[in-house]
Amino acid sequence: MAQSSSGASDMAQQGAQWLQGLKETAMSMTQREKKDEDEGYSPFHGLQKSAVLQECRCFNDREINARRCITILTKILWLLSQGDKLTRLETTEVFFGVTKLLQAKDQQLRRLIYLVLKELKPSPEEVIIVVATLTKDMNSKMDLYRANAIRVLGAIIAATDPTLLAQIERHLKQALVDRNCFVAASALVSGIHLMHVNGEVVRRWVNEVQTALQSDNQSVQYHALALLHQIKRQDRLAISKVVASLTRTPLKSALAQCLLIRFAKKVMEEDPSGETRDRALFDYLEASLRHKSDMVIYEAASAICSLTNVTQRELSPAITVLQLFLCSAKPCLRFSAVRTLNKVAMVHPIAVTPCNMDMEGLINDGNRSIATLAITTLLKTGSESGVERLMKQITSFMSEIADEFKIVVVDAIRAMCLKFPQKHRVLMTFLSNVLREEGGFAYKKAIVDTILIVIGKVPEAKEAGLAHLCEFIEDCEFTLLSTQILHLLGMQGPSTQDPAKYIRFIYNRVVLENATVRASAVSALAKFGIQLNYLRPSIILLLQRCLFDNDDEVRDRATFLVALLKGIEGGGVGIGGLNARQLLMEPLGLPLHAIEISCKEYLAKPSDVPFTLANVTVAPEMLQKERKAAATKAATAAAADNPTTARAAPERHVEAEADLLSKLPQFVHLGQRFSSSKRAALSESGTEYEVSCLKHVYSSHLLLQFSVNNTLEDQLLENVTVAVDVSSTPGLAFESELPCSAVPFGQPGDTFCCLRRVEGLPIGSFGCTLKFLVKDVDPAKGMPEEDETGYDDEYHLEELEIAAADFMKRVPVVDFREAWDTIGGGCEVVETFSLSYNSLKQAMDAVIDYLGMQICENTGNPAESARTHTVLLSGVFLGGVQVFAIVNLRTDSAKSVGMRLTVRSAEMGISQFVASSVA
Amino acid sequence: MGLFKRLFGQITPGKNKVRILCIGLDNSGKSTVINWLKPKKAMAQDVVPTVGFSVEEFTKNGLSFTVFDMSGQGRYRNLWEHYYKEVGGIIFCIDSTDHIRMCVAKDELDALLEHEELRSVPILFFANKMDLPQAVGPVQCVQNLELSKITDKPWHIAASNALTGEGIDEGITWLGTQMGRAARAK
Repeated sequence: MAQSSSGASDMAQQGAQWLQGLKETAMSMTQREKKDEDEGYSPFHGLQKSAVLQECRCFNDREINARRCITILTKILWLLSQGDKLTRLETTEVFFGVTKLLQAKDQQLRRLIYLVLKELKPSPEEVIIVVATLTKDMNSKMDLYRANAIRVLGAIIAATDPTLLAQIERHLKQALVDRNCFVAASALVSGIHLMHVNGEVVRRWVNEVQTALQSDNQSVQYHALALLHQIKRQDRLAISKVVASLTRTPLKSALAQCLLIRFAKKVMEEDPSGETRDRALFDYLEASLRHKSDMVIYEAASAICSLTNVTQRELSPAITVLQLFLCSAKPCLRFSAVRTLNKVAMVHPIAVTPCNMDMEGLINDGNRSIATLAITTLLKTGSESGVERLMKQITSFMSEIADEFKIVVVDAIRAMCLKFPQKHRVLMTFLSNVLREEGGFAYKKAIVDTILIVIGKVPEAKEAGLAHLCEFIEDCEFTLLSTQILHLLGMQGPSTQDPAKYIRFIYNRVVLENATVRASAVSALAKFGIQLNYLRPSIILLLQRCLFDNDDEVRDRATFLVALLKGIEGGGVGIGGLNARQLLMEPLGLPLHAIEISCKEYLAKPSDVPFTLANVTVAPEMLQKERKAAATKAATAAAADNPTTARAAPERHVEAEADLLSKLPQFVHLGQRFSSSKRAALSESGTEYEVSCLKHVYSSHLLLQFSVNNTLEDQLLENVTVAVDVSSTPGLAFESELPCSAVPFGQPGDTFCCLRRVEGLPIGSFGCTLKFLVKDVDPAKGMPEEDETGYDDEYHLEELEIAAADFMKRVPVVDFREAWDTIGGGCEVVETFSLSYNSLKQAMDAVIDYLGMQICENTGNPAESARTHTVLLSGVFLGGVQVFAIVNLRTDSAKSVGMRLTVRSAEMGISQFVASSVA
Repeated sequence: MGLFKRLFGQITPGKNKVRILCIGLDNSGKSTVINWLKPKKAMAQDVVPTVGFSVEEFTKNGLSFTVFDMSGQGRYRNLWEHYYKEVGGIIFCIDSTDHIRMCVAKDELDALLEHEELRSVPILFFANKMDLPQAVGPVQCVQNLELSKITDKPWHIAASNALTGEGIDEGITWLGTQMGRAARAK
């Protein structure tokens, strides 16, 4: 009995244990499942590279175990895809092991071998060993072998020796039109890769690629289109032809359709005629909105939305489609739609407003990314009253979203701040809160940029914004942001109500931070010292403490600035013809490099006259370099997707560059530049040589800046000049020219021609001829042969016109009426004209163009249906004479517009000259 | 037993698979030799210089051979050694009309004989291109390459003409028996 009872208790114990075990397994299983969801459990998790390499030894076995090898190859591929790097020696070992497997016939193994061969990227000397085998496979009867061999061979040739392509070209050409879609697609993809290394050979395949384009298979058609585009990439005309013809015959493949939409958009954007959009292509985009595949619909909608200067009417069908997507059950569609709408909302908030209702529904979407985008879009399109509510929503989940979307939110808030300046308090508080949270550099930078912009645009927010920034730099780990903020404090701080309170924050940086931040803190301090007399002594004291800093830059700056501040105290002048305030607070108009060269020259040959910046000259090469630097800067600004700065930057840059022209050693005598015209094209775009001209007016000279772009790949132009025939224009005389030494393909160069104004105000047009020395260039090498002497050639350009507008500078006045009355009617000229224009607006634009004057008091926007309109214009004429004009326009008939022009200025001659310039 | 094994081997050729390496200077006729050994319908019409290597298969004397036909061009020769591991036998082709480069062939051969992985691996030499008038005999080849100094592995030289197949069968049969012996010894 005892035994049996003990047996029973044993059983019970075992049962309990078993139950316990079961429970534990179940628990661990649920845990693992949870883990699965979190990080995607992989069978290869925790795989060791060395262990796999060890296993690779079995590739050498006499009998190949296909199963085992497949597993090993998969592991290798997994390692490579995870970013594990094999050393050179390891690669070699694995590679030769894999090549031995080529004897195997197992299809699955074979496929993996091809993949590994492609992914391993062995050294060129070694990889060549498989070429013969692959060539053999390329001609095998198995489609699987053929297709894969083509891909691997293509990759090998692209990576090692492009000349090998000639040997297998015949096979590839056949493969392009192969019946098997896998083979054809492989050949096309190889073609795309090979295009970069050996374009000449690939270009010969056009006919085969065209045939492949007719294929019924989705992926073949897609790749064929991609390759065709690659082949014709250089030739804009051919591309637009291809696109135009394909848009008429719909493609079967949705992927190809998407690609075609992208190409069509590109063609529309690059259209040289610019203004008028290609109707047929746009209709195609619109028709694609009714395609049955979601992918194509979205592609078309997003293409339309991202067109440059798209109109409201063009946008509306695309928006309607996106609105439908917003309610889709698929998160992917919802996301892409709301993302595109978010972008559109930046430029056309009104167009997106109809979707607001649907977007409200997405605020609580389970997917945080969708919710974020929906809210930020609403912030951009919504009304002022909704701001608080939306901000509350965002704050609730700001910590749950990724940095990337936080940046989107911050961008939206920036737009909001500029739209509703009254709301700056709410938004600034939000910004300062998020600034305190953890975040990456890009995120913090976005916040700081936003605060900077808001401070710039909304004066009331300045004090609060600066306070937030001061607090931020107390604990900022990013040197770049610290220096940026310190610079801003230096610029803005002195003009606040209580500048002294910033001094503490800045000086703390000198004590606590790294050298770069210290240096900028020192500069910032000095800016306070220069502008505020009562603070100067204390700042000199603070700066003197920095004189013993252990960093060179900080010490140098401190020494210089102390000297400068003491100079102001002592009433001394500044350096190089500039006073202290100019030196510190205003940007230098010259490239630093040029100043450096001039300084060196001055030091080499010191004279009694002190060095001044006015004597600095700039070499033409430096001008080119400056332009390139500015262009990249503008590009990055544009890439940063900051529409306001991106647009303003190039304009400012053109001005700055024009100012530098008179610093060219040849043109120093011209003096201060008065004005510059708009760029006028002297040849049609798309011709052999594209030439455009900028006219710069100086007090007694006219400087013509010709930009020459060589569009011929096989030519190098040297000693390029533009000969100007001024014999027919009285009052102008040719003075000098500055040739451009070389204009290679695709790199525009500038050549200058300086004309002297002998008497009066010369107006008229004169012929121009481009003269140059041509050298033939092998496009592959990009350089002419050593012994190539070249030959002289000419190229006839269109006539260059000099109009009255060139001598006028657009300068606005604050109060037009008062200025008009002040100048009086002493030198008033009134003329009436009948202009043959279809609309009032056209006539107005043309007249303003002729006069080259600035529209005042927002009179440049006549109502659509108005029959009469008055425009107020002001400007400054050459020599600094103020000119005002009132233009009264009246629609006489459908084809003509009547105009009365009243011009007033201080000089009768100028009034008459301006008035007659319209005729 | 031997008979049974032979029969059994015939039925399941997978059991008697051997891997051999075919090397030699460029233009010595490696690919042509291999080409002749292939089944009639798999034979290539014209043989072009091999780039890298190519894998060929054929059956002879109840053994199924997998041959790595290596390229003999100078830049590929140092890659041969990657394939020495676990190899069953080696075919070394000699262009017996190329007197000048015989010393190059000897250098390559010496390097091969020194190699660790190839200890006691049988080597078959083909003194190829016997049909041409300026060809030297196999005895002369043995002298030029100092083959008599090889002591640590079995070797054999056969005069051959790969275009007609003369002498090749004889050589391969020798190689087959050698490898069979080696397999049995294991």
